[in-house]
Amino acid sequence: MTMFVKKRRFTLACAVAGSFALQFAIATAVQAATLNVMQSEAPRSMDPGDQTATYTASLLDPMYEGLLKRDPDLSLKPALATEWSADGAGLVWTFKLRQGVKFHDGTPFDADAVVKNFTRHLDAKRGLAASGRLRTFLEGVTAIDPMTVQFKLKTQYPAFLALLTTGPCLMVSPAADAAGTIGAKAVGTGPYKLGEYKSGEYVLAVKNTDWWGGAPKGEDEIKWTWTSETSVMNMALQTGDADVINPFPSAFAQQVKANPEMKLSVTDGSAVFWVSLNTKMKPLDDLRVRQALNYATDRAGIVKAFTQGFATPANSPLAPVTPGYDKTLDPYPYDLAKAKELLKEAGYPEGFTMSTIVQEQEARIGELLQAMWAKIGVKLDVRKMEGGVWSKAAFLDPAGKEKDGIGSSIASWSSGVNGADLQFRPLYYSKSASPSGANLGFFSDQKLDGLIDKAASTLDEQARNAIYVEAQNEVNDQAPHVLLFTKQDLFATRANINGVWMIPGGGVVVKDATKD
Amino acid sequence: MKAYITKKIMALPLILIGVSIIVFVAIRALPGDPARLMAGPEATQEAVDAMTSRLGLDRSLPAQYASYAYDAIRGDLGISIKSKLPVVDEIGERLPFTVALAITAYLMAIGIGVPAGMLAAIYRRGWPDQIVMLLAIAGASVANFWLALMAMNTFSVQLGWLPLLGATSWKSFVLPSITLAVLPTAVIARMTRSSMIEVMSQDYIRTAYAKGVRPATIYWSHGLRNALLPIITIVGLNFGSLMGGAVVTESVFNWPGIGRFLVDAVRYRDYPVIQGVTLVAVTGVVLMNFLAEVLIAALNPKIRLD
Repeated sequence: MTMFVKKRRFTLACAVAGSFALQFAIATAVQAATLNVMQSEAPRSMDPGDQTATYTASLLDPMYEGLLKRDPDLSLKPALATEWSADGAGLVWTFKLRQGVKFHDGTPFDADAVVKNFTRHLDAKRGLAASGRLRTFLEGVTAIDPMTVQFKLKTQYPAFLALLTTGPCLMVSPAADAAGTIGAKAVGTGPYKLGEYKSGEYVLAVKNTDWWGGAPKGEDEIKWTWTSETSVMNMALQTGDADVINPFPSAFAQQVKANPEMKLSVTDGSAVFWVSLNTKMKPLDDLRVRQALNYATDRAGIVKAFTQGFATPANSPLAPVTPGYDKTLDPYPYDLAKAKELLKEAGYPEGFTMSTIVQEQEARIGELLQAMWAKIGVKLDVRKMEGGVWSKAAFLDPAGKEKDGIGSSIASWSSGVNGADLQFRPLYYSKSASPSGANLGFFSDQKLDGLIDKAASTLDEQARNAIYVEAQNEVNDQAPHVLLFTKQDLFATRANINGVWMIPGGGVVVKDATKD
Repeated sequence: MKAYITKKIMALPLILIGVSIIVFVAIRALPGDPARLMAGPEATQEAVDAMTSRLGLDRSLPAQYASYAYDAIRGDLGISIKSKLPVVDEIGERLPFTVALAITAYLMAIGIGVPAGMLAAIYRRGWPDQIVMLLAIAGASVANFWLALMAMNTFSVQLGWLPLLGATSWKSFVLPSITLAVLPTAVIARMTRSSMIEVMSQDYIRTAYAKGVRPATIYWSHGLRNALLPIITIVGLNFGSLMGGAVVTESVFNWPGIGRFLVDAVRYRDYPVIQGVTLVAVTGVVLMNFLAEVLIAALNPKIRLD
């Protein structure tokens, strides 16, 4: 009897082990045609319109498409729309849609689907994460005929076409959205469709053989995994567990450069890092004090110490990739004498004490500034915070910041190729003062507000960019921020991977990537 | 005994209610707002408000707790803010991985810790004792985060013997379970040593030696058996810290268990997930402690549970 029981247990154990083994065998069998991509964070949604995270956008990119798409040369090209036109004022836009496109669940793509996709963002009750930007300028979308849609804008919006390639404007299946499943199960029109989403482990995208664009160029499958440990990410690339890792931790750059099995890609990024000064608080309400801090900042030093050189010192509120950026500006060379002189004029010859709030991963910037500004007598109290705590503190209103003594906030903003308006308006426009926007220092300047509005309503690109140059000068003169640097975007791949490219701002595009 | 078990089982719901209230209030008292995190830094206040009401976070705390508790009793722990999947399913998918890892680590800790502690006790003040205690102190002090990275770099990256990440084969268990086992092994070894030393100085041990019982029989049958009770107690009580270790270990090794799930959830302030995982972990800890108590009572007739 004892023997029998033991035997049965053993058989059970074998069966369990066997089923495990079988799973692993399946997992290894398909490895060959899979592109493994590892990122620094898990996807936040399978619905591109319900997330605002760069790495989620990258993961969803092969599965979804917008009316327009961005090419590797960063130009805008037709995707689900074949042609479009605008009225003279730029307020009414008409799009002809591509024929014969179907969502992965078989729902036909037509004007009705487009209308539903935008109406869901205009419905305040839905509260989708990415609706905010569209709601500021979009009046409504109507179907003219089954394959034509018309957009009505409340105000001119220079970034409109660029925005159509981003999260909230990517087309999700209206059937899946109505069923409420889209957040957990992606259904788009793209060259890949969702194979499996194991929320703790991976997202597997498989080729969509019915894609309107013909056979997808990339590998059979794309498998996405994630870890928050940068050293683990680097190790995964070394062992080949990952073919692509993004973002690449710059601390390991030398290691990858020395390794022939890996490739490092460095491109101009769009995240501009800055210290937002609380212009409602003494002594930072004094322009001379803000300028003094700018002169006392050794930007090249920060670039070297914080980014291992993978950044460009900031000379403008815009990133170099942003249309309208003026590379000739040089407002604040490192000049301690000038800084001291300005402080003296402002009545602080011995300096003063102020605070800054910073998230853990950028805490080093705070420490560097602390040392730099100490040279002009400014004692910087650096308050390191965990992300969630930081954003609560950063978005306080003037009274809240006064109460907590928050003199400045260190952060970055990335609008990149989508246009200067998306950098100027949220960060410097008076109505964007926090908590309603990311103008964290409550900067208010009528001249700048006027320039931002004027540029937004200027349809001619050259004329618009000229206004943006004026706006850059105005921000530099008024110094609401201490502008620090624009980060370069780094990602790394195994040497046998081709066709991965990066959208400035940190998102990789892997749908056309192949493995030799 | 039966009455005791019934009493303990009756107490579990009370403990769970208490813990769930504490967790519920504590995570909401934490600064950081899931609606703001979901809507992103560019979101207007209007968008954040819309998200807040969608997540049901605009209701009063008692109202939120009441509906959470009502659902939880019916086995519904809510929908994850991030993945939009039911928390129960999410935990169900991950729990086996955590349990498998915890069992492996615990078996390893007992299998190594107990003999090592016995060895140290038998050769008290001799070199085996010194080596075991040195290793135990090192094991109890080392940060398992650091240990994990070193082990990964050595055995996966440099030597290529073991998989780096995830749970794909039996080999995947090796590094995470060793990492996780280090601390309990050290604790168990030390506990075994001191417990054995005490037992070995008892009169009946001396009697056993005197009547010529083989030393091996004395160590295992007379010594360990009597030294076992404190060891079982410490094994039971340490389950909580093992769960704590699992959080770190799982995160580093991309282990698809509930520990890593919890870390991700805290980062995004995914309230339903934090609440659900904590409940499950607390249940596990309470059950383990309870099991240890019952086991001790069963092994020692002198202890009566009632």
